[in-house]
Amino acid sequence: MNKTIQSGALALAFVFVGAGCADKASFTPAQQAGEAPPLPKAENFLVPPMQVPDKAGWKDGQTPKVAAGLAIEKIASDLKHPRQLYVLPNDDVLVVEANSPGTEPVTTPKQLIAGKYKDSSGKGGKGGNRITLLRRNPAGGAWEKHVFIEHLNSPFGVQLIGDTLYVANTDGIVSFPYVTGETRITAPPTNFADLPNTINHHWTKALLASPDGSKLYVGVGSNSNITENGLAVEYRRADVLEVDVATGASRIYAAGLRNPTGLQWEPTTGKLWAIVNERDEIGADLVPDYLTSVQEGGFYGWPYSYYGQHVDTRVKPQRPDLVAKAIKPDYAIGSHVAPLGLLISTDNALPARYHYGAFISEHGSWDRSPLSGYRVAFVAFDQGKPVGKPEPIVTGFHSDDEKHLYGAPVGVVLDKQGALLVADDVGDAVWRVTAATH
Amino acid sequence: MNSRAAPRRSAVAIAIYGLLNPIPFGCFVAALIFDIIYACTGVVMWGKGAAWLIVIGLLFAIVPRLVNLVQVWITSRRIARRADRIDFWLNLLAIVVAIFNAFVHSRDAYGIVPASVWLSICTVLLLCIAHVLMALQYAGVPYVAVEDDVHE
Repeated sequence: MNKTIQSGALALAFVFVGAGCADKASFTPAQQAGEAPPLPKAENFLVPPMQVPDKAGWKDGQTPKVAAGLAIEKIASDLKHPRQLYVLPNDDVLVVEANSPGTEPVTTPKQLIAGKYKDSSGKGGKGGNRITLLRRNPAGGAWEKHVFIEHLNSPFGVQLIGDTLYVANTDGIVSFPYVTGETRITAPPTNFADLPNTINHHWTKALLASPDGSKLYVGVGSNSNITENGLAVEYRRADVLEVDVATGASRIYAAGLRNPTGLQWEPTTGKLWAIVNERDEIGADLVPDYLTSVQEGGFYGWPYSYYGQHVDTRVKPQRPDLVAKAIKPDYAIGSHVAPLGLLISTDNALPARYHYGAFISEHGSWDRSPLSGYRVAFVAFDQGKPVGKPEPIVTGFHSDDEKHLYGAPVGVVLDKQGALLVADDVGDAVWRVTAATH
Repeated sequence: MNSRAAPRRSAVAIAIYGLLNPIPFGCFVAALIFDIIYACTGVVMWGKGAAWLIVIGLLFAIVPRLVNLVQVWITSRRIARRADRIDFWLNLLAIVVAIFNAFVHSRDAYGIVPASVWLSICTVLLLCIAHVLMALQYAGVPYVAVEDDVHE
């Protein structure tokens, strides 16, 4: 009988060891960055790789680290989960404070557990559902803070076209009249265009106006990691929508982009570019998030495949016809880095090497060990295309032992003086990065 | 443990065991049906339903399994028959497989197939075998013609 007990105990131990072990990453984010990232074989897990630092916040005087030749200062604090930034023509800066509307129902036992685990990092903090206006303080230091618009519904993207301010709530775009110099809008919102609003698993709606102001482009994330909520709720999701500013009518501009959280124009070519968060739970090194030009009518793979024709077997039914025409994205950033902010610059007040390229804020991984992301990176461009590897610009958002999280970068913009502003939704602050003065 | 011919056994334990023990089996059978439907259709509702059924089955299995553990190996050790002990081990194995299966069901979408179906079949089969062996023993059928080993 002893033997039976032993074998039973062994079987039990095997279960828990098997469940507890999760593969460590075998590539560095830098190795998986660039035009042709190495892609390991997809794995299925009992428990996917998971590592999340606990929220610690910034201590007084503590700041993120910056690359050599740069300096950083905090220009606003005590915000309510600041996500996106937008610079108005008069140099005022809008800070969109929001988080998930929390409307995704719990439909699996896993969600009960995973949700709590991920929220311990402070990324689940409550959003302000408002926009705060920051105005430069001529004396230096923290900027003036004004509550600009309140009572929004998980807003993310903001764009000003003429004297109309468009705000992308999670359920639709609303518009407000804007008068230069004002610090508060009290006018009620006007409904402008509906956006996909079921579940809102990925809730952010990124917004970008065309240079002539005739169109708005909206990044709409998928309603699941990989269709686990069914295909019906993915209607008009995981795509970039084009909204006609004159009428509010919209169409799908490009599809198969799992979660396009940032849109920008590449100024020299006039092409639309996006950062996209790729799928989780098939490995610490799968699938690299990416930066890509967005072709009109293009299909970029989600959910059926990634990086061109790498089929994801978790999707049923499969669509070989769509896989065949899936476009390979232009430039991988690294696996699970979670890009949430994109800025393509051709000129700024940072050192010359940072003048032409993309600033990408990497909000940071949960589905990977060791951590990846948690930094602002710069990808140099040459003749309209990214070249080389991403370089860290702002780092130090988590402790060196990866246990504590001080902040996490989201929106990135250039202010009128050419300094880089970074929203930090865990540290509830806005940082300003400038060239170091010697 | 069968309820018959057992002196000095707790009526409460027997009642709790009798009430709760069938629930996990029902859940695992339903989960198997759902897993097969999901594997055939890909309609996510069935896969998620199976995930809940397995977790609920496991939760309801805790108390009757503990009662059974105490009965077979402690309180009724002297009268426990061979089938009782085999039943205990088959149930334990079924639970271990179901725990595995619960983790498999935490995968997204069709990533649970085909492991979900095989593990559900395994769980249900183990419990079925345990039931049949118990029935044979207590019906007096001399299955595999082995007498109870003396357990002191």
